[in-house]
Amino acid sequence: MTLLLAAVVGSLFALGTFLVLRRDVVRVVWGLAILSQAANVYIITMGNVAEGGGDLVPVLAVHGGEVPTTTDPLVQALVLTAIVISFGTTAFALALSYRAYQENESIDVTEWAS
Amino acid sequence: MNVVVAPMLAALGAILATLVTRSRPRLQHAASVLGGVAYAGAVAWAVRAAVLGAGAPGAVTYQLGNWPAPFGITLVLDGLSAFMLVVAAAVAVPAIAVSVRFVDRANQQVFYHPLFHLLVLGVTGAFLTGDLFNLFVWFEVMLMASFVFVAFYGNAQHTAAAFRYLVLNVVGSVTFLVAVGGLYATVGTLNMADMSRRLAEAGAYGIDPLPVTGLATLLLATFALKAGLVPFQFWVPGAYRAAPLPIAAMLAGATKKVGIYAIIRLYFTVFAGATVPLNLPVVAGTTPLALLAPVLLVMGVASVLMGGFGAVASPSMEELLAYSSIGQVGFIAVPVAIAAAADSAALRRVGLLAALVYALHHALAKGLLFLSAATVRGATGTNRFADLGGLGRQSPFLSSAVFVGFLSLIGIPPLSGFFGKFLVLDAVTSRAATGPGVGAVAVLVVLLVGALLTIVYASRAWVGGFWGARSERVRAATVDPVQVAVLVAVAALVVAVGLGFEPVAEFAGAAADAALDRGAYIEAVAPAGGESA
Repeated sequence: MTLLLAAVVGSLFALGTFLVLRRDVVRVVWGLAILSQAANVYIITMGNVAEGGGDLVPVLAVHGGEVPTTTDPLVQALVLTAIVISFGTTAFALALSYRAYQENESIDVTEWAS
Repeated sequence: MNVVVAPMLAALGAILATLVTRSRPRLQHAASVLGGVAYAGAVAWAVRAAVLGAGAPGAVTYQLGNWPAPFGITLVLDGLSAFMLVVAAAVAVPAIAVSVRFVDRANQQVFYHPLFHLLVLGVTGAFLTGDLFNLFVWFEVMLMASFVFVAFYGNAQHTAAAFRYLVLNVVGSVTFLVAVGGLYATVGTLNMADMSRRLAEAGAYGIDPLPVTGLATLLLATFALKAGLVPFQFWVPGAYRAAPLPIAAMLAGATKKVGIYAIIRLYFTVFAGATVPLNLPVVAGTTPLALLAPVLLVMGVASVLMGGFGAVASPSMEELLAYSSIGQVGFIAVPVAIAAAADSAALRRVGLLAALVYALHHALAKGLLFLSAATVRGATGTNRFADLGGLGRQSPFLSSAVFVGFLSLIGIPPLSGFFGKFLVLDAVTSRAATGPGVGAVAVLVVLLVGALLTIVYASRAWVGGFWGARSERVRAATVDPVQVAVLVAVAALVVAVGLGFEPVAEFAGAAADAALDRGAYIEAVAPAGGESA
């Protein structure tokens, strides 16, 4: 499970970096969104993700038995906050890129005014 | 009421007041300036009650929602936070006062005032928080406001600059998040005091502190990006040129200092206690500070040169000031690096003291100069040296204020800049006297070259803009008296800080002590529980 998540985080970062380096402004915004999500998946992995099972659910299967060790819920709270922030930033980036496209009359960021 | 939240409540109140009064411009302007003054008042009151007043406890905390320390979010007002808040307030009040006169009315209507106070709120939160993830959130609050300000005028150049600024900062935020996640997985806490305590006794808590050095370096990269240190300086000129000039004063005076503050707070108060063996080619040591020292030193020295040469070649006043602030942040970073390299507690304190005094000086002087650039642009419609000249005759008061600002930047006694530069050079020479000499001497030479470049570009700005015969634009200019009054007041403050330096130095000393005294910080926050992970 951890290995899978590590591979996912790695590919997301790679894809995000690739897209951020494009000249097309829409791809750059996509890259930003993917990079933010890569960081979120990374933080989720930091909470010791364990594969789910009947005895791992937060609502216990039996009463009075041993309490199972669950995934750290704090990282999920962190990620919720980070998702909200990156959502806001991405929305702003989209609006800004449209305005910048209108002003600069090009979607190629290398042709924009310096 | 708890004093810690007073500055935040003042900023929040100003946001609400300026939103409610949006349909009545005059009322909104008054509310905004009053909000700025109320913020400064709240900062003064909180700092007095927590740090400076007789019988003050030295550090006051506020547990949000009354959740006990390591579990909830803690706000901490100690000497270091208090000093930085005073720096921010000293820039914010004149900046908003000039904004009301400088920014045209239609643009002020477009959420200028609520966003200004949001920026102040973000800066305040970043200075006060004692929780690493919360620091990230305040950074984002600050950034959201500054994105809008960089894009504020909305032309081709402004939107392009804002987009670049945004991309860069989102990448910075991602780096920050990766570091936060990694530190949480390594140390098991996000509360800075708790993190400091756990790292100091890593064995007792069952922590392997080995990844901390690398994760701390990720944080360093993020904070250096915010502070505009070389090699992350390239966004500075574009963003400062695009933002409204009073906001450029805030960006240079207050938000850049957040980056410096975060480096000092995290490295010296949190990571300094960790014992991590380092075995790199050049770097050897036992704490993450050993890696910080050479890296930050190179960044600082490169910034001094880069900013100095860039400023000398700048065609307009705002670009000159933008490059100058890259160089001046270098002057702040070098003593921090000296403090990190120091092996004695006394030298460590000298380094941080120098950095803090320089930060205050730079905020005041650069704030004054950016606001002067705003007044010049408001009067003449340009900031290009080619179109200026002879402002000294046109407006002696404005020019005197600018003159004081540049003299302070150069470091002429008895202005605030003299003590800043003196303390920085003192820290470097002390290091040269005690440690390996060659490197410190080289740094000293670079700093002197940087100081020389400051004289060159200051003279250039003076000759280009203020001396000589009046150009056509200057002849037709009418300088706004209210803005000039604000500028003269800030210039007087620059002089006052220099003349009455004793209490300022004591305050900065208390701030440096607070940054270094990990025990007192942990005790103030008093994180409970979690004896073994």
